[in-house]
Amino acid sequence: MVENIGRGAVRSLDEIGYAAALLIESLYWVAVGHRLRQPVRAGAVIVQMMQIGVHALPIATLLSATIGIMLAIQSLYSLGLFGAESFAHIGIALSVTREFSPLIMGILIAGRSGSSLSARLSTMSISQEVDALRVIGINPVRFLVAPALIGMVIMVPALTMWSNLVALGASGLYVAGALQISLAAYFDGVIEVLATNDLMHGLGKSALFAVLIALIGVVNGSLVRGGAEGVGSATTKSVVQSISAIVITDMVFAFIATR
Amino acid sequence: MSLETAPSRAAIAEMPAPPPAIEVEHLDAHYGPRQILFDVSLTIRQGEIMVIMGGSGSGKSTLLRHLIGLERPTAGTIRLLGHDIGRLGGTAMLNLRRKIGVAFQGGALFSSMSVSENIKLPLRELAKLNEKTMDIMARLKLEVVNLAGFGHLMPSELSGGMLKRAAVARAIVMDPKLLFFDEPSAGLDPVVSSALDDLILRLREAMDMTIVVVTHEVESALKIADRITILDKGRILTVDTVAGVRHSPDEHIQNLLNRRSEEQEMDAAAYLRRLSGEA
Repeated sequence: MVENIGRGAVRSLDEIGYAAALLIESLYWVAVGHRLRQPVRAGAVIVQMMQIGVHALPIATLLSATIGIMLAIQSLYSLGLFGAESFAHIGIALSVTREFSPLIMGILIAGRSGSSLSARLSTMSISQEVDALRVIGINPVRFLVAPALIGMVIMVPALTMWSNLVALGASGLYVAGALQISLAAYFDGVIEVLATNDLMHGLGKSALFAVLIALIGVVNGSLVRGGAEGVGSATTKSVVQSISAIVITDMVFAFIATR
Repeated sequence: MSLETAPSRAAIAEMPAPPPAIEVEHLDAHYGPRQILFDVSLTIRQGEIMVIMGGSGSGKSTLLRHLIGLERPTAGTIRLLGHDIGRLGGTAMLNLRRKIGVAFQGGALFSSMSVSENIKLPLRELAKLNEKTMDIMARLKLEVVNLAGFGHLMPSELSGGMLKRAAVARAIVMDPKLLFFDEPSAGLDPVVSSALDDLILRLREAMDMTIVVVTHEVESALKIADRITILDKGRILTVDTVAGVRHSPDEHIQNLLNRRSEEQEMDAAAYLRRLSGEA
């Protein structure tokens, strides 16, 4: 029992070290790849951005609108208990931008793109495609990891910003209807409440989530063992670890940022 | 060198020995605590086709992974074209890799790219060529492996034999000096397998390559090899010409050539002990 815990701890530390090495190596290739005539290809980054961000827009929009309406319903109900419904926009604006949008987009991308990254890399490892890259002389970190990492770091905050707009818009429609006020009046209130710092808080968090999702996906994908079962297991591990890391980091980030 | 003027095996044997292309000295290899290769030493000369044979678990695939630089030896040295690959790093290793081609057992073509894009990938990433030149080179290599007109297909649309030939086309696109094959005949029917053997012979003669083939297919090995290395339990059993291997008095070698099992007779009591985990 103790031995198993010890082994698990050593393996976890090993994986964290590997993830850190991958991050440093990716940054190295982004910084000096052009000088070594082995650039991180813009085309590969754009493909990743399309897959991570653009293709996720419909589901991101649906979830964000739902979250916005759900927050509006709960805020009106709870504030209505002591007749303060007119202040609903304050709680909605702050919780959407600082908490809900980055968290929901992080979880969405972990489930959608983190799992896909892990499955792709594990399949490539098993079918020797990664070995093929290495013998050709193409660094797999430059070719596979760096574009995914850059794509994530650009698109997760971009989706979070989109989610802010959609969630606030949807909540505005609900609140305006329920309180018989104009949508313009609602947004006036929201703009008055929100500071740049609130937006940056959410966007900063989402950039951090993006790095975590990419690294966890890559580590699980490249350390895969076995055949199809290994791919499934790596994908599941990647999603579970990403979501856990996002939730824990969210709490730590919120604690530090509000001190 | 054209097919018509290619020297026979006997003529090659009488020629002065060409310089070594691959030198392996006292190579030991481990996977974790398990030792796979024991003190392996081997020299493969330029222009030679060396076939590495052995049963399952003999260490032939591990030896190949070390030769192509995918694994680091625990002990010993590997020199490719005069360069000790254990001491090479960065640009020097990259330059050496450009002189090496590998056709993996399952092809290892990138499933997200067409056959043509797979072949162009090394050119795109490692050479400064325009798109038109890369297209011409990809078509040329597809012609060499008899896959002309199939470049637009995805790897999933190819048969086993076509997949292997496409992998060869990608392996030779940089005109390597050393070409490695991992189990080229595995999973192929005899006719397709024989065509692939002919392709290997044609490549050596047309492109003056040194070729290393890891296989367990005896017929294929005897057809294409100049010399054969036989591995057994991680050690070299013999390195000899085809005739030398064929007429070897060694029982292990003859068992391998004639596909005879080496399982020892076991009495009933010993068998029961093994099943119950006592032995």
